[in-house]
Amino acid sequence: MAGPAHPKAMTPSKPGRTRTAPPQMPASWWSHPRIRTYLLFDATGLVYLLLGLVALRVIWALGAGPEVWDATLASLSSPLYVAFHVIGLVSVIFVGVRFFSFFPKSQPPRIGPAKPPPQPVILAGLYVAWIGVTVLFGLILAGRIF
Amino acid sequence: MRHFLLRIEPVIWLLFGQGLLIGTMLLTGWVLVVGIGVPLGLIDPAALSFDRAHALGSNIIGRLVLAALIVLPLWKGAHHLRHLSIDFRGAERDVVVAPILYGIATVASLLGVLAVARL
Amino acid sequence: MSESKKTFVITRFDPDKDEVPKTQEYEIPVHEDWKVLDAINFIKDEVDPTISHRWSCRMAVCGSCGMMVNGEPKLTCKTRLSDYGDRVIVEPLANFPVIRDLVSELDGFMEKFQAVKPWVIRAKEEAGAVSASNPPKSSKGTFVQSAAELAEFKQFSLCINCMLCYAACPVVANEPEFLGPAAIALGHRYNLDSRDQGLDERNEVFRGEGTVFSCSFANECSEVCPKNVDPAAAVNQAKFGAVIDWATSLVLPRPGASKEGGK
Repeated sequence: MAGPAHPKAMTPSKPGRTRTAPPQMPASWWSHPRIRTYLLFDATGLVYLLLGLVALRVIWALGAGPEVWDATLASLSSPLYVAFHVIGLVSVIFVGVRFFSFFPKSQPPRIGPAKPPPQPVILAGLYVAWIGVTVLFGLILAGRIF
Repeated sequence: MRHFLLRIEPVIWLLFGQGLLIGTMLLTGWVLVVGIGVPLGLIDPAALSFDRAHALGSNIIGRLVLAALIVLPLWKGAHHLRHLSIDFRGAERDVVVAPILYGIATVASLLGVLAVARL
Repeated sequence: MSESKKTFVITRFDPDKDEVPKTQEYEIPVHEDWKVLDAINFIKDEVDPTISHRWSCRMAVCGSCGMMVNGEPKLTCKTRLSDYGDRVIVEPLANFPVIRDLVSELDGFMEKFQAVKPWVIRAKEEAGAVSASNPPKSSKGTFVQSAAELAEFKQFSLCINCMLCYAACPVVANEPEFLGPAAIALGHRYNLDSRDQGLDERNEVFRGEGTVFSCSFANECSEVCPKNVDPAAAVNQAKFGAVIDWATSLVLPRPGASKEGGK
């Protein structure tokens, strides 16, 4: 264990009578496969923040009139934007898979008298909703419905 | 500041959670069509002509969906980046990092609501 | 019985002599069916009696023998040596101050543990409540609980306080105030208990300095938990409860709500 943890991690408010060595974290804790997945999950925060800002830019342009709208849509064809959106798609799917796998067990066993459905049912419902919303929203945006 | 962060945590967590849940569901189709499909010419760009896009976005349901699409991912992003900062020795700098991230999300959210409102 | 040799790299720290912990290597013959704890006990008994480590039951119920084995928190009495190569690194639990060798300082954990009020809280003691001076005379007076009510929290009551979850948690490592997985799971266990009425008190703790919202859902606590308590589930259910508590406190302010954020 090479890396020190926070010097006060798990330290009692009143020190004991014995001198202690400071708390340590495992060396290269971030290289553990599970931790790497977790850090990657947190790092998608940057992608989501940017996706939100890009969506803001696009919708802002929609309110600014046809010329601005056409120019903004055309700018989305630049390789940089397309590459970002490919990363965005991978991130969104990764986040969905990991978050939905954790979602069922995070539900309280009971809210008042109401019990949530069994965990596999919640998980299946999430995937049905995810695919359903994506297909519906995608078809509407692509001009296939409405 | 730390006390203020503690007080607003339930609100942040709700927005963050909905960013994960609703944000992810909406972003998948959005990125597929607007980010990849139309720019690469896989989908007829006429689908996103100004008139059609404006008609889709300016009704009440369209406005709600677009507002959620802009606002929720911002909070998912800001909150996760805050966690990432803390995971790398960030407990002390959190009183600076968190307000900056949440500040960005707040300003962008207000602009997002404005953008949707003026459609 | 087949025998082979393995090298153990063990953390040594003597608070009277050492400035910082160091390591010492021991090459010993090991049996195929040994657990990691058996090897450490062999070293202490046969090679170097100065090694300090905690252990007791050898059957994964006492929770004493948690250590880092090759960088991962493990209950050493439950960890097969055959799963490791020729070099096994044994260290004291991560994220805890070290008293000596493989022995961690537990007082910080005990403070967090007590902070969540891990006992049944009643709004007021009923006349018929059972106590030492008032033993149960009939079924009236005890708190009757159905099997279904027990099932709601039973999983979270199986914690053996081995603290592996604290050694695994990246938030515990970086945020000293955080209540941490086992303590929140225990508090949540009482919140789910049909006999308990301490929800408001515990939610104040959950939303205080050691806030449950510090959890970033790495899920590491649940990965390393030797008793499948799934603390990550408890912590995130507790966040849900804290949000409901916050929402209701907006509508129905309760006495003491102004002290929010205080410990």
